[in-house]
Amino acid sequence: MTECPECEAIVENHDKILGEVFPCPDCGTELEVLGTEPFAVQPAPKEAEDWGE
Amino acid sequence: MKAAIVGGSGFVGGELLRLLLRHPGVEVVQVTSDSMAGKAVTRAHPNLRKATTLVFEPHAALGRADVTFLATPHGQSMERVPALLEAGGLVVDLSADYRLRDPSLYPVYYGRPHPHPELLARSVYGLPEIHREALRTAPIVAVPGCIATAAILALRPLVAAGLVGAGPTVVDAKSGSSASGRDAGPAGLHAERSGVMRAYAPTGHRHTAEIEQEAGGRIALSCHAVEAVRGVLATVHAPAARPVEEKELWRAYRAAYGTEPFVRIVHESDGAFREPEPKLLRGTNFCDVGFAVDRHAGRLVALGALDNLMKGAAGAAVQCFNVRAGLPETTALDFLGLHPV
Repeated sequence: MTECPECEAIVENHDKILGEVFPCPDCGTELEVLGTEPFAVQPAPKEAEDWGE
Repeated sequence: MKAAIVGGSGFVGGELLRLLLRHPGVEVVQVTSDSMAGKAVTRAHPNLRKATTLVFEPHAALGRADVTFLATPHGQSMERVPALLEAGGLVVDLSADYRLRDPSLYPVYYGRPHPHPELLARSVYGLPEIHREALRTAPIVAVPGCIATAAILALRPLVAAGLVGAGPTVVDAKSGSSASGRDAGPAGLHAERSGVMRAYAPTGHRHTAEIEQEAGGRIALSCHAVEAVRGVLATVHAPAARPVEEKELWRAYRAAYGTEPFVRIVHESDGAFREPEPKLLRGTNFCDVGFAVDRHAGRLVALGALDNLMKGAAGAAVQCFNVRAGLPETTALDFLGLHPV
């Protein structure tokens, strides 16, 4: 397990694979799996609502 | 346990009946209303058709019950409670009459001295999230006000964590029309109320005293009526004691509510409902709380949302009763709400 970098919620591995994107159970941030041994995540890149316009 | 409801013809009384008629540990034996005495309770609460054959009785016919729920207007419970205590039953009062511990506040906020100030020490404020242990033996449960519940549950973790600085904390509350009760008067007529965003109490609202009592600090409360039947949203603006990171707020709210069955922390990064939304809570006993940090203004924003007839009244009453009776706290309160609604 590890912590969500946004809200510090405990995030479980549960057979996730490298590159998988999943939501944090508390704050909903889309997290991307950076590594499985040890388990590490970061916020997944996302498109802005206004595409920068 | 045998239960009676006094003042059962109002919206809160109807909501209590809805919950208690499906409560496995309760038998509702009597519902009183002077204005509807002799009429079926389903006349006032048509959603309960086929669920009960109870008929309203006059208040004077009230008998002894194991638990008596008082859903009468403010000022009436003050006089009824002593006799109910003498009879030996548990009292759950949904009015404001036994909420304030300081007797000097009753003339200020309710226009009259309390006739039985000696009983205030026997009353426990009905927020299990704060007073669960005291509620287990409380002779009188004083169910909090709806706006007060939303504001207290939103603000208190920030105070407890020492994150609120000097100066008043502003509570901006919006509420739906059912909070005014069944006899709301001309201001509650559809023709007058529909479409309003009415500042009905910019200052001086009665719940100010409850929020200060339970959350601490100086509260500046402003209340608005909005286009909804059910729902309260309290937006709390507190001065930050120092620069605060959002993760500190997560920690503060998790410490306060991590194991609470009816308080959910809602602060999500995406989606249509990122912060607490009363619409999603209709008919549920949840109070959703959220937060944000305003670094520009040195401000902490806390949000509390609930259904004023549920966690803001009848649901809270049943939750407190469950605690008092030693039952699972969620008994008869497990509705998850509707979506879309």
